[in-house]
Amino acid sequence: MGDSALNRMTALVRQDIRLLLRDPAPLLIRTVMPLVIMGFMQPLFRAALQAGGAGTDVNGAEQGVPGMAVMFLFFMMNVVGFAMFREHGWNTWDRLRAGTARPVELLAARLVVLLAAAVLQLTVIFVAGGLLFGLRVSGSWLALVVVALPLALSVVMLGMALVVLCRTISQLSVVANILALVFAGLGGALTPQSAMPDWAVPFAPFAPSHWAMRGFNEAILHGGGVPDVLLPAGVLCLFAAGLAAVTLVFFRAEDRKLSWS
Amino acid sequence: MPADRRPAGGAAPGTPALSVRGLRKSYGDTTALDRVDLEIAQGTIVGLLGHNGAGKTTLMSLVAGLRRPDAGEIEVLGRSMARDARRARRELGLAPQELGIYPPLTVRQNLRFFAELAGLRGRAARQRIEEVAEPLALNALMDRRAAHLSGGEQRRVHTAMALVHRPGLVLLDEPTAGVDVETRARILAHVRELAAQGTTVCYSTHYLPEIEELAADVVVLHRGRVLTRGGVDELVRRHGDSAVELVFSGEPPALDLPWPVTRHGDRLRVRVEQPQLVTGRILAALGDAAAGLSALRVVKPTLDSVFLRLTAGTPGPDAGEDRNRDERTGAVRHG
Repeated sequence: MGDSALNRMTALVRQDIRLLLRDPAPLLIRTVMPLVIMGFMQPLFRAALQAGGAGTDVNGAEQGVPGMAVMFLFFMMNVVGFAMFREHGWNTWDRLRAGTARPVELLAARLVVLLAAAVLQLTVIFVAGGLLFGLRVSGSWLALVVVALPLALSVVMLGMALVVLCRTISQLSVVANILALVFAGLGGALTPQSAMPDWAVPFAPFAPSHWAMRGFNEAILHGGGVPDVLLPAGVLCLFAAGLAAVTLVFFRAEDRKLSWS
Repeated sequence: MPADRRPAGGAAPGTPALSVRGLRKSYGDTTALDRVDLEIAQGTIVGLLGHNGAGKTTLMSLVAGLRRPDAGEIEVLGRSMARDARRARRELGLAPQELGIYPPLTVRQNLRFFAELAGLRGRAARQRIEEVAEPLALNALMDRRAAHLSGGEQRRVHTAMALVHRPGLVLLDEPTAGVDVETRARILAHVRELAAQGTTVCYSTHYLPEIEELAADVVVLHRGRVLTRGGVDELVRRHGDSAVELVFSGEPPALDLPWPVTRHGDRLRVRVEQPQLVTGRILAALGDAAAGLSALRVVKPTLDSVFLRLTAGTPGPDAGEDRNRDERTGAVRHG
């Protein structure tokens, strides 16, 4: 097998899978935590949905499962950051750069595993939400997938943008956690979008989480199919594209990143 | 070139493994490298010597393509680092100064990753991993996590990762920093084997005896410039400071000799090219003053003393004691 871009990418992806399997705790925690919180918050979400006019046959999972899934997916920006910063902490980044892989290959290969991890996280939460909390999707499951994929891509690209903009893992962690909470609030992940405070409503469209929740609500609560979620999915694609552009513009392979490890 | 040597990267015979011309690099107002020219022939070992900040690591970083030079040309086995970087890098193996391994993974996984990155798969990768593991005594450690290895073992893994893709030019930046005697000996032995097989090794170190042990060509960098270059024996012969040193119990006498004599407190230093041949004549010149002589030492130059002399000038009296500790001395106690 020769030294081609595909082979190098394959090697990098395999390496990331090895590292992920060696320490899967961060991903597991971000997958289990939303389910734990959901267990406590389901009655509150049911009441909020009913107060918002969703009818009496809702059980709260319709808000809680996508809401917690979206919120904890944004916490995955930390995982994205760590995946990049640890290479600096282990002094392996320069070794990779001294090899034949292009810098953009080093970034792109990371995206593959992280994107797969994000999709896996969403899948487990939605499936467990159905099995444990009685989530019923009145519309199309495929519509959920159409929203989930660009959402996962947006989150990973947001993490990548933070990697290139932050110099230390601490900076990234602070910004990522704040953004995750703000996006959860603005997007309607914490409360139904109908119950959001008035001051937050004008800002909501600037949060990718808003479009994710809009798409999920369409499929789960309003019986929407794929055509009904194309707008939110398209906006999420634009977010991902914009963040990819930020990453490429500000990425400097030779920049030193400070990691605690 | 020995018959078992392989041609590196398909480069034509006679093509230098590394060719650096007019290399410059500055960090802000600080000039790290200034018009460095360097050529390294295939299958040789070159020791890069220099004080901290002399430019050794910067030079290696530029050659490895980790930084861009402000000016100058770098070619690895005839391939330009600026115009044909990927092919140049394919011929290059870098073991940076700082340990760079994946601690959560096993030794085998660390090596396999770099083998796969270079396009090796399956049996070819396994075979190559065994080839680099054996001389560095990693076979018994292959399934242990790198994080659980000793510092010396980690350093060997770190070095092996630079070799697994069979590069034609290997850059080893202080490969024996912080390792024990056994690991140092293994690394040095393997460097010699590599050179014998046709691999070119650029070896940066602060341990000058290693360079003597490797019989490497020496390049002395000082303040970003190449100060001198040559074999160890040649440099010692050219720049060495051999002498006969006389230590007196009181005030040293005045001596009438055809060689330069310097006085440092209670001792006289007579600079001569072959001190062992003239000690009798010096003793004779002492006459009655020989009664006050407490020690006589034949000071032979070493690479250490040559290096210090070249980079800092001949040390003054205060530095003499420190320097002498590093020199091979033949001491003759007298009366």
